[in-house]
Amino acid sequence: MTNDLKVAVVCSSNQNRSMEAHAFLSKKGFRVRSFGSGNQVKLPGPSPDKPNIYDFTVSYEQMYQDLLSKDKSLYTQNGILHMLDRNRRIKSHPERFQSCQEKFDVIFTAEERVYDQVVEELSNRSPVDNSPVHIINIEIQDNHEEATIGAFLICEMAQMMAESEDLDNDIDELLQEFEAKAQKPILHTIQFY
Amino acid sequence: MDEDENLEPEPPRSTYDRVVNLLNEAAASSWESQKVSNLRQVQELVVHKEPNLLDNFLDEMLAFQNDKSTDVRKVVVGFVEEACKKDPDVLPKVVANLNMMLSDESVVIQKRVIQAATRLYKVTLKWLCKAKVVDDIMESTWTYMCQLKSRIVSLLDCENDGVRTHTVKFLEMLVITQTYPDPDFPCKEKEVTLSDIPLTLKIARPRKLQEEARQMFETLVIFHGTQHISSVNLMACMQTLSLIAKQRPRFMSQVVQALEALHANLPPTLAKSQVSSVRKHLKITKNMPGAEELGKRQR
Repeated sequence: MTNDLKVAVVCSSNQNRSMEAHAFLSKKGFRVRSFGSGNQVKLPGPSPDKPNIYDFTVSYEQMYQDLLSKDKSLYTQNGILHMLDRNRRIKSHPERFQSCQEKFDVIFTAEERVYDQVVEELSNRSPVDNSPVHIINIEIQDNHEEATIGAFLICEMAQMMAESEDLDNDIDELLQEFEAKAQKPILHTIQFY
Repeated sequence: MDEDENLEPEPPRSTYDRVVNLLNEAAASSWESQKVSNLRQVQELVVHKEPNLLDNFLDEMLAFQNDKSTDVRKVVVGFVEEACKKDPDVLPKVVANLNMMLSDESVVIQKRVIQAATRLYKVTLKWLCKAKVVDDIMESTWTYMCQLKSRIVSLLDCENDGVRTHTVKFLEMLVITQTYPDPDFPCKEKEVTLSDIPLTLKIARPRKLQEEARQMFETLVIFHGTQHISSVNLMACMQTLSLIAKQRPRFMSQVVQALEALHANLPPTLAKSQVSSVRKHLKITKNMPGAEELGKRQR
């Protein structure tokens, strides 16, 4: 059942939260793609006001090599190199959600701002065939531990959805049940391709 | 390489044979995935690659509408939709099948039929508008299409939430198609609207269609204000109303009223997070391009 559901996971830079969930979901056999919804890819730098900023066309490998040459010990210590190494094994580049025309059944977002950007993008597109897509936001802080927990929650919810025989009819109940269990507020809406 | 050149087959014949093989294999197979894959290939071949073969294999494809697999039946609906979009002359041969498939035991198929009808209704209207003479076959096709329409509209009361959502989108299409476009909101080139329908088209009089659109709009407003509407359907309906207001500003004030009423009085059945989602959606609706008026009125 897991391969029937087309899932997308979106965070801001397609590095940490969405990639953690991407890795987790694809291990479980889901058809999943991950995206960032920001204008650029941002990674922590030597200080909070000096992030490393890349274009979405820069590959994980190039970012890895760039940071390796900039400050190997810093980026090893804060886990960024490790994360980029994981990412480059999953796919070559970060992808921007707004550039993807593929249709999904469910889109998970990792924070409210990303949810807003995804909803805005989809609502501004011209209708194609009116197939519905559920957009669900779960707040996940942008650090490694929370990303792991978040990926687990997303996977659990995706599993429940995949097991549902009629998702459109069951989703309200599934989400309420999930929300009570996970103790996390969620946002949910529907858009049409 | 040279061998290939020597053996170059006649393309039409080979596609014909391929389709026959694929259909035979699908009919004999007990594997759902193989059937689905074969039928999708047939669709690609006869709808896109060699549309002149479409007529030859239409009945064979339609025969799969009784297959026990839901996925196979879903492919058949998709095929019907694509075939009619490619060649509207197929419509008379399949519109009865669509009607039948709307009664399918599976909700998945029912929803897929509504989705297909949302596009094919416009294809049918366009087909009628273009015809020099509307013959008996066209007339009966339109009658079938109208039957399908009223059956879909009645599904707004269906128990299944997803069916209702798809019905909302169908109603949205009816309202947009059966009203005159706004000069400030140029419609897409291919989209048929009331202004394309000749006054001489006896079987679909513009005035009647427009009146129906108005009734459908009212139906949507009532549905939007239902106390026990689910949050998904409420949001789908809000979107639909604001899209209608954007494209057909004459409905703007009624849409604003409906959204204001919602703002003041959300359905009591919504859970806490659903309330947040709906409130957020109201805000998004307000910020949609072209919906400034909605924003102003909602403060």
